[in-house]
Amino acid sequence: MKDGSDRAGHLEAWLYNHSEAARRSLWRRAHAPGQTLILVAVLGFILALPAYLWLLLDNARALSAGVDHEPRIALYLDLEGGETLADAVARIDALPGVAEVAAIEADDALAAYRESLPDPALLDWLEDNPLPAIIEVLPLERSPEALAAMEQQLATLLPEATVISDHEWVRQLEALHGAGLRVLLVVSALLALGITLILAVASAAELRERHEEIAISRITGATDRFLRRPSLYGGLLLGVGGGLFSLILLGIVVMMTRSPVEEAALVFGVPFAFAGPQARIGLMLLGAGLVLGWVGARLGSAAALRD
Amino acid sequence: MIRLHRVTKRFAGGTEALRNVSLRVDAGALAFLTGPSGAGKSTLLRLIARLERPTRGRIMVNGRDLGTLARHQEPQFRRDIGLVFQDHRLLFDRPVHANVALPLEILGYRRTEARKRVRAALDKVGLLQKENAQPQTLSAGEQQRVGIARAIVHRPALLLADEPTGNLDPELSREIIQLFLDFNRVGMTALIASHNLGLISTFARPVLHLENGSLEARHVTQPRSTA
Ligand SMILES: Nc1ncnc2c1ncn2[C@@H]1O[C@H](COP(=O)(O)OP(=O)(O)OP(=O)(O)O)[C@@H](O)[C@H]1O
Ligand SMILES: [Mg+2]
Repeated sequence: MKDGSDRAGHLEAWLYNHSEAARRSLWRRAHAPGQTLILVAVLGFILALPAYLWLLLDNARALSAGVDHEPRIALYLDLEGGETLADAVARIDALPGVAEVAAIEADDALAAYRESLPDPALLDWLEDNPLPAIIEVLPLERSPEALAAMEQQLATLLPEATVISDHEWVRQLEALHGAGLRVLLVVSALLALGITLILAVASAAELRERHEEIAISRITGATDRFLRRPSLYGGLLLGVGGGLFSLILLGIVVMMTRSPVEEAALVFGVPFAFAGPQARIGLMLLGAGLVLGWVGARLGSAAALRD
Repeated sequence: MIRLHRVTKRFAGGTEALRNVSLRVDAGALAFLTGPSGAGKSTLLRLIARLERPTRGRIMVNGRDLGTLARHQEPQFRRDIGLVFQDHRLLFDRPVHANVALPLEILGYRRTEARKRVRAALDKVGLLQKENAQPQTLSAGEQQRVGIARAIVHRPALLLADEPTGNLDPELSREIIQLFLDFNRVGMTALIASHNLGLISTFARPVLHLENGSLEARHVTQPRSTA
């Protein structure tokens, strides 16, 4: 205690204490390789699950965005009362938010239908053309809300027309994606809690194993902060290890599931490349491991050192 | 340095290990504590190191009232104390040098400096050649000396030694007490519990005699001057 020159200065002492704690936790982990591997693997599996779910959702969204669609709104109208198709088209064209308008006369539609039949004469017994004229509207904006608003606008403009839009499934996909995100969020929160508890229990057990060392250290003047520091580094280490392991797992799972998913997409007529994990997911997994590792070790060591 | 005022310690089972004990050990003094087995010597030392709390009475150590010492002040308080345990309490999961280095680690000594001091302390107890041995391979006396090296390695202001020569032969016992006297000469206060009345009587130092929890001859120890 007497000559402070042999002891490090303030900042240096702090750095030294921390590097020593890190070294000691590394040493301790290296001396329990089996337990360390099991913990890292468990954390890896738990972290990989929500990451994979997220990847699926991301890909599903890319899928729905990638499928052509120009969300057209079709209006079927029986032109009575003297209004011409051209009038209707002009009125729609004047609406704000309309990108494109196309019209098919009822007679043209019937002609096209006749062409498609094996025997055109089949239609000759018709007195009147039963087919309506069709106007297809392509809105500028494609969000489900904008489409719904446009539908509403068209319905009021031409109350006698039947408005049918093909964007219903986009809205459904959108809703599914939203629900998926919500589920993912809840599942992730629960799994994070699980990871925290696992690490808390592990670090509490480790500290209890060091019980005699801690008792002697305390008698010699060790603070709680000093005693738990190696555990905190241990938690960080396990967390980052778990994050890395989960990345590897994710890579393997993606490789195993990529081609079946792409084939399924093809069946639906959608060419699609399943996107693997991005750097962002990697960083998130490592970050989650780091934070949860620290928090878990902090909780566990607090519990173990209280007695 | 140490003051006890009417201290009583009653354990949960009802045993009164100490009864109304008052004593004073001045800074710079070295005193022996004797008494038959079960007299309360270990209990007294543990109270002074604040490993136990008194049932009644007041304890002052190094100018601090242990009754009002907050939990977060405990580490700082203990850093000035060296403790030799009757049962050694070595850590069997690490070699001798790491056991001795423990207090230095806690105090934040650099590793090279700590190593030097550990070797010096082991040399003083005659165990330098066992530096890298595992504690369980040592004899009881050797283990005891490792415990002594650990207690003095950081040069504490106060040494509390519980039977430090219990497992040592007469010659080694004398050497160890002489070592404590050397440290005392440069300022360390010491209270040493021992059964070995023959050995103690050869040093002209105050002796506190505990009998059945009471301090029989309540010597107030003189400050060092005989050294
Ligand atoms: N933790 C405890 N719980 C209950 N009783 C205890 C405890 N520690 C000590 N005692 C009792 O207090 C009394 C004094 O014990 P202490 O260890 O202080 O004696 P001692 O003088 O050190 O004896 P020895 O010379 O054999 O080491 C004994 O009767 C013992 O049984
Ligand atoms: Mg005893």
